[in-house]
Order: sequence, then structure tokens, then C-alpha cells
Amino acid sequence: MIVAAWICLVAPLAAALLITLLGTGISRRAAGYVATTSVLAAFAAAVVVFAKLWSEAPSARSHPSTAWEWLTAGSFHVGLRILVDPLSVFMMLIVSGVGFLIVAYSIGYMDGDDEERRYFAYMALFVFSMLLLVQAGNLVILLAGWGLVGLSSYLLIGFWHDRPVAVAAAKKAFIMNAVGDATMALAFFLLIQHRQTLDFPDAFGVGPGHGWLVNLVALGLLGGAVAKSAQIPLQTWLPDAMEGPTPVSALIHAATMVTAGVYLIVRTHAVFEQAPRVQELAAGLGAGTLLMAGLIALVQTDIKRVIAYSTMSQIGYMFLGAGLGAYANAEFHLLTHAFFKALLFMAAGLVIHALAGEQDIRKMGGVGRLMPVTRLTFLIGSLALVGVPPFSGFFSKDSIIAASMSRGWYGYILFAAALIGTFLTGLYAFRLFMIVFPGEPSPFVREHLMRGSHAAGMEGAHREADPSAPHDHEVHEHSGEGPFSMTATVAVLAVLAVVGGWIQFAPLWHPVSNWLDPVARPLAVPTSTQEALASLFAFLLGLAGIGVAWLIYGARQPTAPRITSRVPVWSRSLLERKFYFDEAYDFAFYRPAVGLARLLGRRIEGPIIGGSIKELAAGFREAGLGTGRLQTGLVRTYAFAIAASLAVITIVFVAVR
Amino acid sequence: MRGPDVAWYLAVAAFLFATGVLGVLLRRSPLIVLLSLEIMLNGANLALIAFSRLHGESSGQIFALAVMAVAASEVVVGLGLIVAIAQKRLDLDVDKLSFLRG
Repeated sequence: MIVAAWICLVAPLAAALLITLLGTGISRRAAGYVATTSVLAAFAAAVVVFAKLWSEAPSARSHPSTAWEWLTAGSFHVGLRILVDPLSVFMMLIVSGVGFLIVAYSIGYMDGDDEERRYFAYMALFVFSMLLLVQAGNLVILLAGWGLVGLSSYLLIGFWHDRPVAVAAAKKAFIMNAVGDATMALAFFLLIQHRQTLDFPDAFGVGPGHGWLVNLVALGLLGGAVAKSAQIPLQTWLPDAMEGPTPVSALIHAATMVTAGVYLIVRTHAVFEQAPRVQELAAGLGAGTLLMAGLIALVQTDIKRVIAYSTMSQIGYMFLGAGLGAYANAEFHLLTHAFFKALLFMAAGLVIHALAGEQDIRKMGGVGRLMPVTRLTFLIGSLALVGVPPFSGFFSKDSIIAASMSRGWYGYILFAAALIGTFLTGLYAFRLFMIVFPGEPSPFVREHLMRGSHAAGMEGAHREADPSAPHDHEVHEHSGEGPFSMTATVAVLAVLAVVGGWIQFAPLWHPVSNWLDPVARPLAVPTSTQEALASLFAFLLGLAGIGVAWLIYGARQPTAPRITSRVPVWSRSLLERKFYFDEAYDFAFYRPAVGLARLLGRRIEGPIIGGSIKELAAGFREAGLGTGRLQTGLVRTYAFAIAASLAVITIVFVAVR
Repeated sequence: MRGPDVAWYLAVAAFLFATGVLGVLLRRSPLIVLLSLEIMLNGANLALIAFSRLHGESSGQIFALAVMAVAASEVVVGLGLIVAIAQKRLDLDVDKLSFLRG
């Protein structure tokens, strides 16, 4: 079993190295197959591990394995240690399973791109990093995986490196994440100082009487989780990250990496439970993010950005669940979210692919008539997102909302926020659906889809000011909605988005909770009445959201002004500018930093540092010239110096004696 | 022991040596410089012989003989050089003979 876990971890890494080392010795298509096969192998290994673990007694399901000692500093040892337990296997299955589908989808989506091999090497590297993160047996390895997913996310967001927007987005994502990495590292230092180990689960037993310490550690961990999962206040990188290729958005920025924060909270729940205020803060941040992201999603005009805000909002639900102590519910929502959000991204990718890279929904409309399968899958994804039974979101989201009812007055505030969130979810999800799919095809859509041929994958290239952006993708012909590798994977995910939620229905059967509870005992267990109430409210509000979307956007042919003009101007600009977070950060951090740098440059660098160096250099030059004058080149002067000094020494010697 | 005290011999030796040093340092003609060198060597020789007499040992005198032999060969080389320089019609001035300077 441990061997299978190691195989699961190493297979994608091997693929990444293979593609990198072979370089152009491997065809573009073969690179895609290598990456896909390796992730499939990882998934198979994860299934083997799962089956073995399933057959064991619930209390015995924890198997650490250390490959070798990695770091030693005095009495502090860190091994390359993985931990196989229900939680890590759960995550391994999601990462490798959904990862496999998305990498396979990329074969069609990236077909014809100049740098397909690099893309697939990065994708395999990402899957390896994410598996390292979830399999890590101590916090150092977890941090290594954490950093590596950040790196591969950076590389993939900026994959189209000749587009300045993409490069800027990649840098932004990396820097925002670095803030979280730093707070996490600080928390780890505190733990090392206090516990002398970072191995799971020994590191977490901080014990009572260290209130401030536990709170600091929990805050540091929360900082990392918030940055990685794009929650308030470090959320601004996620929408910009949509500059990457769509499968990247589906894999990294919907299904796996952004949910790492939720995983971290569940994994380190022992620390958070000792710092209940910080845990409540996590829940509060989740609630705040889900509301804010839901509101912003209402006015976005880029198909991927709408889905990105929806991702932030759904991760807000997961934070809410994890912060309330409903760990299994949060993880369950992570699972179903991976299905339906990857589905939404990939269905959106089909649309973008078919429309030669257009992402602006104002130009879309009536796509559904020409792409019926895509319309169906997108509808399934949207219904699952809103949480309409029997789609998967219904089962997972409602159990989180129900859990918030069992945590007192604070829980009820969160409960209200989560319910408003479901209304917003219905509204923005079906605003997007109504604008893009039903009705008569818009002229733009007709132009691209009626001919049946188009330039593939020129995602957003024409949005650039420079139309000669060198993405000379091959123009290739295919009728309908996309190549087999894309439609087939989307279809599989659509099925999963429907049935994925059926594995747990809170009042009747709960295998997910049974599976995960030994790792993380829940703090919040809602009663059946609360489950029923939450489901009822959430369902009705979701339907209300859909209904409002239908009223506003459904009836007529969508045109550009109608999409936004129904919202008052002040609130619209507030939402379109994303609550001014970017501007605030610009004002709070960027400008003071630049101002300080300018000031230091003018007042310190120039006169003091530069001046002192200039003075010092001049002094040495003077001294050198003076000494140089002694070097006359005349033997007589040297002989005189020798004789004179000899004489002086002799006289002194005699005199002293 | 007959004759003046050893201090007198040493004084004369020091005077000769100083005269030689001044000649080497101050004069520009290589011929005079060589001459002054000989005077310095002879000053040293005088000191050697004086101490040899004082201690009643002959090794100092043998040293003085060796120094004379070295001085003679040195003069041969030096004079040869000076003749060679003179044949090239160069100035016989040690300050100007700097064409070998790197």
C-alpha cells in the first residue's frame, strides 16, 4: 500500500522529467499522452491505496512512511515523510482523478499550441506538487508541496508568456501567495521551537496554557490557507489568474490547488481547535468571501472570471464548514466542487475554443443552439453549483449550511450569509447561462460556429492591443463542439457532477463522514431537522436566484447594455472594481513602498551611500598617487632609502643599548 | 698588542664605508660609483682584519682576501659594462641609464 502511495506521488514527477529531458525528441501529442498516462497511473495507485485502506479497521488507517532523512539540525529532524490516512487518500483521489480528466482534456484544447510539451511538463509537475502537498507526512514536506503548487501555478498562469497581462497575473498570484507562505513559515518556526517536530500529528499537541502561541500558529496557518484559497483579504489574484489556459483554470484554480487551504485547515484542525477564535475567524472570512465573490460575479463580463468568482464563493463555503468544525462536510463539498467547477470551466473552455478564444459574454449568445451538448453539460454544472437536487452541490453545500445552525448565534449569522450566498449563486450562475446559451445565435457566434472552422485556442489573443501576438495556432477543421478528448472528459465530469453527491446524503447515509471522521472529529453535527431546514431554505433561495436570473436575462435576446444596466451605477462600479481591493492594496502597499524607495534613493542612496563611496574612492586615489611618487624608478633613491634607514636603525640600536 | 686601539681601526673603516656610501648615492658616473663600491668593500675589509688581529684569529683575514677576489672580478664585470656603454656613445650617467626599466 505504501509502495502504491509512493508510485502515485512519483509518477507525475517522472512524466514531467521525461517530457523535459526528451525535449523535442518527443512529439507534441506524445507529450500529452505521457502526462495523461502518468496522472492516470497516479489515480490507479490512489485507488489501490484507497481499497487497501478501506479494508482496514477505521482506527488503524494511518500509515506514515519515511523515504530518507531530509534535513537535520541538531535535535530537529525532517524526513521525506508521507502519511497515508483517510484524509490524504481522499485528496489523492480527487487530485489524480479530476487531474487525469483535465490533463486528457488539455490534449484537445492545447492542440496546435507552439509549446505543448512545456505545457504538459508543467501540468505533470503541478499534479506531482499537489500530491506531495496532500500526502505530506510533516509540515515541511507540506510546505514544499505548497510552494511547488505555487510555482507551477505561476508557470501555468503565465504560460502564454508573450502576453504581458498573463505575465502580470502570474506575478500577482505568486506574490499574493508568498504572503501566505511567509505567515505559514512563521507558524512553523513557532511549532518547531515549541514541539521540536513538524510530523503529523505530534506537531499539533501544543497543549493548554499557551494561548498566545496557539493563536499565533493558527493565524499563520490561516494566512497561508487564505492566500492559497483566494479568500478575503488575499483574494485578488484568482480572477487575474484566468489569463492562463482554461484547463489550467479548471485544474489549479477550481478543482485542486485553491482548495488546498481547506485541506490545510482540516489537516491541522487540532491547532485550530485550540484557537477557537481563529477558527471562527476562518469561518467568518469564508462567509465574507462567499458573499463578496457572489456579488462581484453578478457584473463580470468575462466568462472565466464569472466562474472564478464562483470558485472563490464556493471555497468560502468550504472555509465556513472547516471553520465551524464540519470538516467532513467541507471536504465533501471540496469533492463535489471539484467535479462541477471543473465541468463548468471545461464546458466554458469548449465555448471559448469554438469561438476562437473569445471570453467576453457580451459577444456571446445563442451558443446553445449550435453546441447542444455543451449547453447540457454547462446546465448540469450550473444546477450542481446552485445546489438543485439531485445534483451534487445540493448534498454537499446544504450540509455545510446546516452545520452552521448548530453553532450558536455566530453560527446563525454565518447561516444567513450562506443562504444569501445561495441566492447569489443561483443569480450569477444562471445570468451566465442565460446570456451565453439560449436564444438566437449572436452575429459573433454565428460567424464562428456556422462555418464549422476556426482558429483553435487563440484564447484572448485578440483582446490584446497588439494583434500580431505570435500565437499562430494551426487553423484546423472540426465540426461541432470539440475533439473527442475534450467532449468525452466533459461528459464524464458531467456524469460525476450529477451523481458525485449521491455518495453522502446527510440524513440517510454518510460514508464520507465515516471515512474522514477518524482523522478530524467534527465539532458541528447538525440534527436532521436542521439538515432539512437548511436544505429547504437553500433550495428555495437557489431557485429564487435562478428565477430572478430568468426574469432579467432569460426573456429576450441578450444585448450588451442590458447585461449591466439594471444595477444602480454606484453599486455597479463598486462591484466591477471588485470592492476596490486592488486599488486599496495599491494605495496601502505599492505606493508607500515606491514612495519610500524614491525617498531613500534621493536622500540616502545618492548623498550618503553614493557620496561616501565616491569620497572613499577619491581618498584612495590620492593616497595611491602620493605613494606612486615614491616610486621614482631611480636606483639611487632606493639605495639611499636603504642606507638611510639602515643608518637610522643602527643609531637607534646603539642609542637604546 | 702593539699599535693603536681597535676602535681607531673601526673608525677608519666606518669613515671609508661612509665615504663609499656617499659616493654611490651621490655620484652619477658609473665609474665613480664602482670606485666608491671598492672603497666600501675596503672599509669592510679593514674592519675584518682589525677584528682578526684583535681575536688573534686568521679567518677574518681569509675573508678579507675572498672579498678582494670578489671585488676584483666585480670590477672586471663593471668596467666591461662601462666600456660597452661608452662604445654605444650613451651618457655615462646612472640616472639616465634607465632603458631597461619595464
